[in-house]
Amino acid sequence: MKLSNNEASIAGKPAFVAGVSPLIVMENTSVGYGSGAVLTDVNLAIEPGKLVGLAGPNGSGKTTLFRTLLGLLPPLRGTLVRNCALAKFGYVPQSAALDPQFPLSVLEIVEMGAYGRVQPFQVFPARETKRAFEVLEQVGMAHVRGKSFFALSGGQKQRVLIARALLVDPAIMILDEPLAGVDEESRESITDLLIRLSREQRLAVFFSSHDLEMVQRVADKIVRVDKGAVAVEERSGC
Amino acid sequence: MDGFFAILNPSYLLFPALVGTLIMGVVCPLIGSYLVLRRTIFLGLTLPEIAAAGVSFTFWLQQTGILPKLAEGERSIGMLGSLVFTFLGMGLLGYLEQRGKGLAEGRLAAAYAFAGAVTILFMVFNPAGQVDVLNLLKGEVIALSRGELKLLAVVFGIVSIVMIAYRREFLLISFDRDLAFLLKGRQIVWDILLYLLAGLVIALGVIMAGPLLIFGFLVLPALAAKPLVSRMSSFLVLSSVLGLVMAFVGFYSSVKLDLPLGPTDVALGSCLIFLAYGLSRVSARARLALIAGGLIAVSVNACSASRTEAPVPEARAVSSQPVWLAKVKNSTALPLLLPSNNPLRSLAEMAGKISPADYRQSVMDLLRQSLQSELEKKGFQISLTEEKDARFPPLPSDSAGAARIARDGRLSGVVFASEIFRWEGETQKYVRALADFKLIRIDDGAVIWQRRVQRAIPTPSATNLGQASADAVRAIVRELFTG
Repeated sequence: MKLSNNEASIAGKPAFVAGVSPLIVMENTSVGYGSGAVLTDVNLAIEPGKLVGLAGPNGSGKTTLFRTLLGLLPPLRGTLVRNCALAKFGYVPQSAALDPQFPLSVLEIVEMGAYGRVQPFQVFPARETKRAFEVLEQVGMAHVRGKSFFALSGGQKQRVLIARALLVDPAIMILDEPLAGVDEESRESITDLLIRLSREQRLAVFFSSHDLEMVQRVADKIVRVDKGAVAVEERSGC
Repeated sequence: MDGFFAILNPSYLLFPALVGTLIMGVVCPLIGSYLVLRRTIFLGLTLPEIAAAGVSFTFWLQQTGILPKLAEGERSIGMLGSLVFTFLGMGLLGYLEQRGKGLAEGRLAAAYAFAGAVTILFMVFNPAGQVDVLNLLKGEVIALSRGELKLLAVVFGIVSIVMIAYRREFLLISFDRDLAFLLKGRQIVWDILLYLLAGLVIALGVIMAGPLLIFGFLVLPALAAKPLVSRMSSFLVLSSVLGLVMAFVGFYSSVKLDLPLGPTDVALGSCLIFLAYGLSRVSARARLALIAGGLIAVSVNACSASRTEAPVPEARAVSSQPVWLAKVKNSTALPLLLPSNNPLRSLAEMAGKISPADYRQSVMDLLRQSLQSELEKKGFQISLTEEKDARFPPLPSDSAGAARIARDGRLSGVVFASEIFRWEGETQKYVRALADFKLIRIDDGAVIWQRRVQRAIPTPSATNLGQASADAVRAIVRELFTG
């Protein structure tokens, strides 16, 4: 198993270099938990500005792959190279995974994205609050910033969580089932938002979905996972 | 009776206890808020019980001679046991959590039951120290000394500073562990820090206030605050404010109504939860109106409560005749005998040579002597009822009954009757008393003056129970004659 955050360690790997250096490279990587691999021989590179879709049925290992990329699980075998610090990962969890017990406003949720830059005794900087307003504007949710996060609809929650990930100032965004529990109209607007983020802000966007049709429609690259196997499909036309 | 504003006076005898309660009321909810949000409320119940087991265990070790007696007194040794058991318990529960075996609730319930059983068993093993342990576990904040208050203020002050400084980290680790890992590194560091602070608060709090009150302060204000807020910052602030309200109103009610502080505070905290859920169902305008109404009611009560009760009147205003001072009636079912300071008498008692009841002074004797002395200073001509007839019994505070007995004994004029209903001095730090005093006209049973003393009387300078009773008698008589 080889694990690195060092850019130099992926130099000289022409298979993954197509004009720009990939932010993440996985080579023959197996991911899973201590008891056994969930996915084996993952070969994947994610470049800036690319919209990568991870498709597969429920329980196929999508979240396990994401958790490995985020450093929450060590890879079981093979190579995983991250070309940027973990603090540059904008992670959007499934909103259903967040505990509605917490009394949190939309603005408080978004401000969490800046916590990595705020010191313990420091008052939350005004410039970060201003930036939080800006990312909320960007996702079209500024008008609900004072509302309780858990009072929002599924689609609104996802957009707020995307705003939080944007406040991290990420190089790559990882979204776990961003369209789950979201109505049709919101699905369209979230999909448009993800496309804009990859095209206009040159962000690497890696999202998962069990809706293969939708992934095929929008993604530059499709990673299919099923029964422990992984297949990567490049789509030049997108 | 202590008035609303009187208890805020720093010279008030129970002022350290009040400040200690307020400190716990403000700081505990800061920790408890996270226990509530992380759905680990039962940890707030189990850890105090484990701390109590530590107190009981260390007292047993002390009794067996394995642990030396410390110079600082009983609380130091209890605190040591409380701290060690709390952190050991947290470590064990954390280890089992990591292994992920069994239900979390099941582990906490088993730990709670085990700790409760251990507490009782070690008390049974240690009959000599049973009362001391029970007193510590009851956690009478009322017995808090100024030195203990300083320790409490320093430890809880540090805890609150750390809680405020790392509030963002604690929120992140509690709400979204994955994001916490990405932005702040290893989550376990923040978990350990949070539980370390919880352990400190619980271990020290159990010794100062008992397991029940600490559990109440940890979770009840947070549960009451939750339905009223939609922001985390407001939640933390409101939890602390409600903790403060619970501590102050509970303390005042406890003093005013002579109720034990722990159960009073916890009952009040539970009422706050019902009130909060009720308020959350009405409009913001109605909520404001209800809160304003409540504040007005409290203010009116505070102002009315601040009146002082009348002292014993001047002699010329009562009667030109002698005033009969009856024996003090003891209605406590306890003998209330004062311990002897003479070791030779104690030896004689043990040898069965002297019956202690034959000669030993009681609280009633002491109280009567003090009353006689003060009444005479006020200009009363005092006659003792036994001077008329040696068989004269103590008179009850029931005016009709007292007047009838006095008339049957051929007395006339005015009689001073005193009756003790409660006299509890479990430690030398305070005496909990309930006693009635009345000046009764014998002819018609009319009450000329009356006063009820019902409160815990601090006796900080007493070194034994007898001295505590003597100090309490002096305090009561001073109160009767000065208003």
